[in-house]
Amino acid sequence: MSLHRIRLLMWKEFLQLRRDPLLIRLLFLMPILQLILFGYVVAADVKNLPTAVVDLDRTSTSRALDASFGASDYFVVTQRPAETELQRLMDTGQISIAIVIPEGTQAALDRGETAPIGVIVDGSDSQVASVGSGYASQIIARFNADRMAAQGVSVAAPGIDARVRVMFNPTLASVNTMIPGLVAAIVMISIMAVMGQAVVKERERGTLEQMFVTPIKPVEYLIGKVTPYAIAAVVQLLVVALVGIFWFGVPFAGQISVVVVGLVLFMLTSIGLGLLISLVSHTRQQAQQLMMLLLLPSFVLSGFIFPIDSMPAAIQPLSWFIPLTWAIQILRGAFIKGSGFEALSTQFWVLALFAVVIFGAAIVATRRRLTE
Amino acid sequence: MSSLSRIGAVVAKEFIHLVRDRRTLAVVLAMPVLQMLLFAYAISFDVKNVSTVIIDTDHTPASQAYVRSYQSSDFFTVVGTAGDLSAVDRVFDHNQARIAVVVPSGFGRTLADGGQATVAVYLDGSEPTAARVGQAFSTALNQVYGQRVTIEWADTQGLDVTGFGQLEPRVRTWYNPEKRSSDFLIPGLMVVIIMVVALQQTAVSLVREREQGTDEQLAISPMRRWEMMVGKVTPWTLLAFLDLAVITVVGIVFFHLPLRGSTLVLALGAALFVFCSLGLGLVISAVAPSLESANMLGLLLSMLPAFILSGFAFPLASIPVALQVVSCLFPARFMVTIARGVFLKGAGFGELWPELAALGGYAVIALGIAVVLYGRRRR
Amino acid sequence: MSGTRRQRPDGLASTPPNPDAALSVRGLTKRFGSFTAVDGIDFDVPRGQIFGFLGPNGSGKTTTIRMLTGTSGADAGQALVLGEDVLRHPERIKMRFGYMSQKFSLFEDLTVDENLRFYAGVYDLTADEFARQREYVLDMADLRGRENELTANLSVGWRQRLALGTATIHEPELLFLDEPTGGVDPVARRQFWDLLYDLASRGVTLFVTTHYMDEASNCNQLAFIYRGRLIAGGAPHDIRRELITEQVVEVSVGDVNRALQWLERAPGVEEAYLSGARVHAVLQADAAGADPAGTVTAALRAAGFGDAAVVVVEPTLEDVFVNLVAREQGR
Repeated sequence: MSLHRIRLLMWKEFLQLRRDPLLIRLLFLMPILQLILFGYVVAADVKNLPTAVVDLDRTSTSRALDASFGASDYFVVTQRPAETELQRLMDTGQISIAIVIPEGTQAALDRGETAPIGVIVDGSDSQVASVGSGYASQIIARFNADRMAAQGVSVAAPGIDARVRVMFNPTLASVNTMIPGLVAAIVMISIMAVMGQAVVKERERGTLEQMFVTPIKPVEYLIGKVTPYAIAAVVQLLVVALVGIFWFGVPFAGQISVVVVGLVLFMLTSIGLGLLISLVSHTRQQAQQLMMLLLLPSFVLSGFIFPIDSMPAAIQPLSWFIPLTWAIQILRGAFIKGSGFEALSTQFWVLALFAVVIFGAAIVATRRRLTE
Repeated sequence: MSSLSRIGAVVAKEFIHLVRDRRTLAVVLAMPVLQMLLFAYAISFDVKNVSTVIIDTDHTPASQAYVRSYQSSDFFTVVGTAGDLSAVDRVFDHNQARIAVVVPSGFGRTLADGGQATVAVYLDGSEPTAARVGQAFSTALNQVYGQRVTIEWADTQGLDVTGFGQLEPRVRTWYNPEKRSSDFLIPGLMVVIIMVVALQQTAVSLVREREQGTDEQLAISPMRRWEMMVGKVTPWTLLAFLDLAVITVVGIVFFHLPLRGSTLVLALGAALFVFCSLGLGLVISAVAPSLESANMLGLLLSMLPAFILSGFAFPLASIPVALQVVSCLFPARFMVTIARGVFLKGAGFGELWPELAALGGYAVIALGIAVVLYGRRRR
Repeated sequence: MSGTRRQRPDGLASTPPNPDAALSVRGLTKRFGSFTAVDGIDFDVPRGQIFGFLGPNGSGKTTTIRMLTGTSGADAGQALVLGEDVLRHPERIKMRFGYMSQKFSLFEDLTVDENLRFYAGVYDLTADEFARQREYVLDMADLRGRENELTANLSVGWRQRLALGTATIHEPELLFLDEPTGGVDPVARRQFWDLLYDLASRGVTLFVTTHYMDEASNCNQLAFIYRGRLIAGGAPHDIRRELITEQVVEVSVGDVNRALQWLERAPGVEEAYLSGARVHAVLQADAAGADPAGTVTAALRAAGFGDAAVVVVEPTLEDVFVNLVAREQGR
C-alpha cells in the first residue's frame, strides 16, 4: 500500500469537492436550515390544546374546575358550548378536548360519592389523545387533593403520599431528546446522499476504469475517497451539533468526549453505507433507490420518532440493525442523563462493529464489483 | 386536439421507459406496499408495558400488597427488583428500566399507625412520552391505592365517609375508541411513503432528458413545455394512485383501519396529492444542475419534510405559526388531514374542501413554476 | 479457399504461450451467463508491433482488452502480457503498460495539468521525469497555454490526445487503445495515427481495437474478431490477398438498391453488398471468365440496368471483412 498514492487520491478528491458547486450548500447550508426548521417541530410539546368546557352543573365546584383547566398551560379553553355542539366542533377540528361536567356533580361530592367528569379527546390525533387525557386526569386529581386538603380530611387517615419525580429531563421537554436525534438524522441523510453518488459518478463516467488499470489498489482508492468526505462530514457534524445546542438551548449534562466519539463512529457508518450503495449500484438511479430503501426504515424503526418500546416485540430486534438506533441512544444518554462510556459501552461496541463490517464489505465490493 | 396527442405521446414514452426499467417498477410498485406493511405494524405511540423496577426496602405484607398493584397493572411491566436506593442510578444509566418505584422501610408501620406513607416514583425523562404517561399512571395508581387504603381503614374504624367524595375522570376517545395510535398513524404513513417515492421519481426525469441530450430533440419539435411536463407526470400519477389504492386496501384489511368518510373525497384528494408531489419533483428537476444534484435534492426535500412537516408524527398545532406556514409548502400536510379526516372522522366534502382546494391550487402552481424554470434553464 | 476458417498462424492453439511476445493468448474465453463473449481465441503480438484488433460492435473486442489489462478475469485460457500471467497476477505489469479507453475517462472537473500530475503521481514518476513528460505531452497534444483549463472544456480532438498523453506518461512498453478515434474527424484521426506511429517507432507495442477499416491498414498485424471468435488474422496485405481468391467487381448504377437485390440473386455471384454508394459483387471462381467486368455489365444491362458501369477492383479490407462475416453468418 502506497501512502503516496493515497495522498494523491485524497488531493484529487479535495480538488473535485471544492469545484462542486452544490456540495457546500448541501453539506452545510441545507442541514442547518433543516435543523432549525424541523427542530421547532420535533421539539414542540403538546400544549395549548383548544378545549371546550361544558358546565352543566353550574356550581362553585364546577366553576372552580373550569378555572383550573383554564389556568393550565396545556389547555386553552376556547369554547363553552352546548353539549350538542361538541360533535361538530371536534369534527371540524376546532377543539381537541372537551370537558363535560354533568349536572349534580357538587351534590354528589357533598354526599361523599364519586362524581364522574367526562373527558372527551380527539382520538384521531394520537398524541392529543394520550397526553391530553393524561393531563386532564392530573388536573382532576390535583383538584381532588386540593379539595380534600381544604376540607381538612386525611389528617388522621392513612394514605399514600406518592412523590413522583422525573429524572434527567424534569420539564419533559421534547426538545432535549429530539434535537440530538434530529442532528444525527440530518447528518446521516446528507452524508449518505453525497457518498451514495460518489463512486457511481466515477463508474458512469469511466474514470473508475481508467484508475484501475493503473497500479492503484482498491484499498488505496477507498481510503483516498473516504477521507476527504469524512473530514467534511466531521466539520458538518460539529457545526450542525453546535447550532442545535445553542439555538435550541439543549442542556448538556454529560461528557463531550462521549458525544464526539459516538457521533464520529455513527458518521463513519453512514459514510460506509453510502459508499457501499455507491459501489454496488451501476447507475445513479439505482443508487438513489437503494438509499431510499435504507433510509425510510432508519427513520421509522430507529426510535427517533416512534418509541422502540411501543413496537411489537417481534419487530424490536429489527431496530438493532439500524445504526441510527444506537447513535440516538448514545446521544440521548449523553445529553440527558450524562451517561459515560461505561454505561453506554454496548452502544459503542455495536456502532464500532457496524463500522468495521460495513467498511469490510466495502473493500470486498470494491475488489469484486468495480471492474464490471 | 393535437395537444392531447402530443401529451399522449409523452405518456406512452414514459410508460415504455418505466416498463423497461424493471427495477424502478419494482421499487415504485412493491416497495411502498412492503414498507407500509412493515411500518404500520411497527409504529405506535401507545405507551404500555413500561419497564419498571421495584425497590422494596420494607418487606412487609403491606409493602408487598402495594408492589402487587404494579405487577397486576397493564401499564407497568416489572422487569426486576433491587435492594437499595443506589440501584436507581444504575438502572437508569444502563437503560434497564424506565420507572423505579422505591418503597421505604417503615412503609407498613406508617400505614398501620394511620399516617401517610411516602413512596418515591422515579421516571426516566429521556423518553418524554413514556415519562409523561408514566407520570399520569403512577399518580392515578397511587391515588386509587391510597383511597382504597383510606376507605378500608375508615370501614374498620366505623367512620363516616362523607367528604371523601372525589371527581373521577371518565375518558372517552372519539374517532378512535380503542385509542390505537396505528389508526392515527397509518393514514399519515400512506401519505409519507407516496410522497417520498413520487417526488424522487420525477425529480430525475427532466434532468435525465437533459443529460441524454434528448431534450434538444424535443425542443425543436412542436411539443410545448407544459405538454411535456403534463405527459411526464401522468404515468407516475397513475402508478402512485395505484400504490395508494393498494396501500389503502392493505390498511383496511390487515390493520383494520376504519373507513368512515367519503371514499370519493379520499380518491380525489389522493389524485391531487400525487399530482402535487410530482409537480414538486418537476420543479426540482428543472432547477437541478445535474443528475446527482437532482437525486440529492429529491432525497433531502422528500424524506425529512415528509416525516416532520406533514403532521404525520408531530403535532403541527403546537409549532410556531411561521413554521406552520412553511409546512404548507409541502402538499403532504394537506393530504394527511384529508386522510385522517376520511378514515377516522367520517369527513366528507363539506369538511375537507379547503384542503382539496389547497391541493388543487398547489398542483397548478407547481406545474407552472416548473414550466417557467425549465424554459429559463434551457436558454 | 472457400469455406475454411483461417487463423494465423495455423496450429497456434496447440503451442504454449510465448513469454517473449508482448502479448500471447491461448484459448481465452469469457462468458456472461449463457452468453459467450469471447470464445477461445489465440494470437501472439510480437514486441514493437502495431496490432489491430478489428470487429463490429459487440464482437468481444472490449471484453478481450479488459482481460488483457487485468480488469476482468477469464473463464478459460491463458494470457501472457509482457511475459507475465495477467489472469493470475495482473498487478505485476500495471507499471509497464498504458490504456486509453473508448470513453474519455480523465477527470472532467480537474484541469489538464492536474490530470497529468495525478497520473504522474500514480505511476511514481520523479519530479524530473514528470517535468520532462509534462513538456512532451503538452506539445504532443498541442495544449500549451491551456494547462489550467478544465478538461470538460476541451473538444474531442484535444481530449483524445490528452488521453493518449496521460496513458503514456510513464513511458510504457505496451499501450492498449480501445477505439481511440471514435467521433473524431478524419484530419484529427490522421494526426492521431501520426502520434501512434511515433510511439511505435520508439519500440512501444500498440494493441488497437477499431471498427474503422481504413485504420486497419495502418497496422502491422490484424486479427478479425466476430461474435467472440477470431475469423482471420495476418498482415493487411496478406489478408487481402489470401482470403479472397474470387474476383470482386464494383458496380456503379443509378438504382443501387434494385441492382443490389438483383445481384444478390444472380447466378455466379457469391455475395453482393453495398460499398459506399456503389455495389460490390464477389463473383464465384468459375463464373468470372476472362472478362468479369464485361460479363457482369452485359448481364446487368440485359436485366434493365442500362446505366451500369462495372470495373474489377482490388479487394479492400472492408470487402474481406464483410465477406468473412457473411460466411460466418451463413454457417
